[in-house]
Amino acid sequence: MPLARLPSVRLLFDRGTILLRDLDPGLDRAAIPGVLWDPRVRSYRTPAYRHQYLRRELTRRAVPFSDEVRVPQPPSGSWSPIELRPYQEAALWAWELAQRRAIVVLPTGSGKTRLALAAMARAGSSALCLVPTRILLAQWLHHIGRIYAGPVGCYGDGSHELAALTVATFESAYRHMDRLGNRFDLLVVDEAHHFGCGLRDEALEMSVAAARRGLTATPPRDTAVAERLVELVGPTAYELTIGDLAGSFLSGFDIITLHLDLTAAERQAYEGWMTTFRSVHAQFRRVAPVASWEDFARAAARTVEGRRALEAFRRARRLTAFTEAKCEMLRVLLHRHRHARVLVFTADNESAYAVAREHLVMPFTCDIGRKEREEALARFREGTLRALVSARVLNEGIDVPDADVAIIVGGALGQREHVQRVGRLLRPREGKRALVYELVSRRTSEVRLARRRRAGLAPRGVAAG
Amino acid sequence: MLPEALLPGSIHGNVLLPHFLEEHDHPWLRVLLEEYARFVGRRQRELDERLREPLPCASPAAKRRIAIHVLARHWGGRRAATIHPRRARAMVFVEAARSQEEPAAVVASVAAALGVTATELTDALFADLPGERLIAAPPEVLSPGELALRTNLAIAQGLLFRSTAVLIDMEGNARAVVRHAKLRGLICAVVSREGERRAALEISGPYALFRRTLVYGRALSEILPLLAWCHRFRLQADCAVRGQQLILRLASGDPIFPGKAPRLYDSKLEERFARDFRRVASDWDVVREPEAVPAGDTLIFPDFALRHRGDGRRWLVEIVGFWTRDYVERKLALLQVAGLSNLVLCIDESRNCADAALPSSSRIILFRRRLDATAVLRLIEREPQVPG
Repeated sequence: MPLARLPSVRLLFDRGTILLRDLDPGLDRAAIPGVLWDPRVRSYRTPAYRHQYLRRELTRRAVPFSDEVRVPQPPSGSWSPIELRPYQEAALWAWELAQRRAIVVLPTGSGKTRLALAAMARAGSSALCLVPTRILLAQWLHHIGRIYAGPVGCYGDGSHELAALTVATFESAYRHMDRLGNRFDLLVVDEAHHFGCGLRDEALEMSVAAARRGLTATPPRDTAVAERLVELVGPTAYELTIGDLAGSFLSGFDIITLHLDLTAAERQAYEGWMTTFRSVHAQFRRVAPVASWEDFARAAARTVEGRRALEAFRRARRLTAFTEAKCEMLRVLLHRHRHARVLVFTADNESAYAVAREHLVMPFTCDIGRKEREEALARFREGTLRALVSARVLNEGIDVPDADVAIIVGGALGQREHVQRVGRLLRPREGKRALVYELVSRRTSEVRLARRRRAGLAPRGVAAG
Repeated sequence: MLPEALLPGSIHGNVLLPHFLEEHDHPWLRVLLEEYARFVGRRQRELDERLREPLPCASPAAKRRIAIHVLARHWGGRRAATIHPRRARAMVFVEAARSQEEPAAVVASVAAALGVTATELTDALFADLPGERLIAAPPEVLSPGELALRTNLAIAQGLLFRSTAVLIDMEGNARAVVRHAKLRGLICAVVSREGERRAALEISGPYALFRRTLVYGRALSEILPLLAWCHRFRLQADCAVRGQQLILRLASGDPIFPGKAPRLYDSKLEERFARDFRRVASDWDVVREPEAVPAGDTLIFPDFALRHRGDGRRWLVEIVGFWTRDYVERKLALLQVAGLSNLVLCIDESRNCADAALPSSSRIILFRRRLDATAVLRLIEREPQVPG
């Protein structure tokens, strides 16, 4: 009786990559794209995220292999039933149709986390959820704990606990994926637009997870970044904007833009700084008309005039961020809406603290400890705090209890930030109509910024794919 | 991590030449240290604001900012508040939400309830924020020279943070470097180079095979302080800086290692042997922990290299701790595979973990508690040196 042919190749997980041990020398390896000879260890190697592809290629070539890559760890706990809204159900189906490898674009407040949990429950496999910040880490752990009875692991904020369902910050995932990469079958990537531009992409490349699900309210519009995201997570399978859901599943809203003047002294200082800035910037623009702001900042940092221009620009921005008129208008608005729940957004932390001192509004920033932030949110929920002021921390992902009014004192990050901020108000409630005030300093660079950031709120429609 | 634009250096072809701080930088470093001292007891943000302006004497902007970065980590801060800021916030902001009064009246009423003045309460409100902390002097104030060295180390590490792989030619302390690399998931390969007698260590991460990745940058930059322990080293790193792939070279003698010389020996035994050997063999140099030597798939780390100053003969010495016959036999086989005929194994007879006797070999020296330097010298003078 002929002996069964023994597997000739062993696939092993090695720190974020797959090693092909004992590969038959007769095999034409060059024909498997992405598999390279590693002279350091005298073996062939391929990135972990190409695991499925490698398996398919070896099978297609009838190369027998033993796959020792994955460490199976099926979840031991059970899921409670998760009720979904019609569009969430549709988004889940779109993901299934895309072979469980896709990005879902939904506005803030429309239940992206819930949708991700439904996907995890349906997959029933081990899953790693990647989240951008430590605050979101705590929030995800809380949400999973409510509907999943079983251990939940945590990487980030000082913890290194591994379980079949684990939540990790992007930074921790980036640092530890060489050890975690073969333990999960599903990757959930919250705020997926952070990836694709080269920063920390390795966190996704060093995982073998075949099923991937990206979530975002603001997909990247840059073609190269979007293409890279398709490779790392999957294509966009479902997309809705605030405009699509406002008035039905999200609360309707009005935006009121208030144009405010600088005082004479502020105007003089502003023009002085901008003149210093413009002379250097215009000169750079003439030489490099298509260069980005980052290119300019890099070039400017190398010369004395350049550094002076950058500093002048910084001071001008700081001045417009919280002017005397904005301060006065904020006082009026806070008084007018003293019975509502108000979120105040500023361009930077310094302005947030200025608002906090001036108007006695609780600041919600990265400098405030986690426990204190949780307490602040709880007080805001129960109504003993009526307002919170924040620069960045409230922008992304955090579940803010039902707020009705947003006052945007200043912004720094454009369209994406604006969509996220407005999204904070849109948790629906019977008879609710949210109100957004934008404070814009007249005849300053803020006018252009404000015009540009509003473009992200228009309806886009469904793009199933 | 230091921003790339700050790291001072110039590009020559594909070589990145770091610009380290030197003695002519000491005057402005002294002024900077004096500024810090002047701000003791004042708020961090006041110092930050002051440091945004140029110093009273000429100082290069990028280097100054890195020195400030180094000082910020060295100098402490303390919270100045009569009541805990978190408590102050909880009370003031909740009261402000409840009350119909103006902010000033709210602060006054909370302050009265707490038994402090309104100013004390306002000061306490954010006293724990980084910018509000009071500058406090560190226990040990740096000299300009020491600050220059620390700043240089930060520059070198900042550049290595952007490296994808490093090649190190080193004498001494190789074991610690390899241990660090392995712990951090890096691959250490020994590469022999044409025209070079010694092999070098190439350290990179598994993923570096596919593309230039900075995922190992932190682990690679952490190697640098370990090299302070080396007898001598040369390091070459592939760095991604200013949008280019550049080569960075560092070597012993570069002004990048602050602090006292580290302790050289792991044990009294080794220290005593080195001292004894230098006394009995004045023609020989003793190097502690020389380069790692590849043997099959593993690396061997000799404890000493002994080099004759006249004819260049070179022997390696390894001191074995606890052992069994089996262990020593495997070790001898490994040495044979590696073609290491110039390695002397020194074995402590009293540390036999089994009852079996030692295998016989002319390259073994037995000792009890104290390793006899004369016996080692006798052996290496007697045995013929096999080249290689």
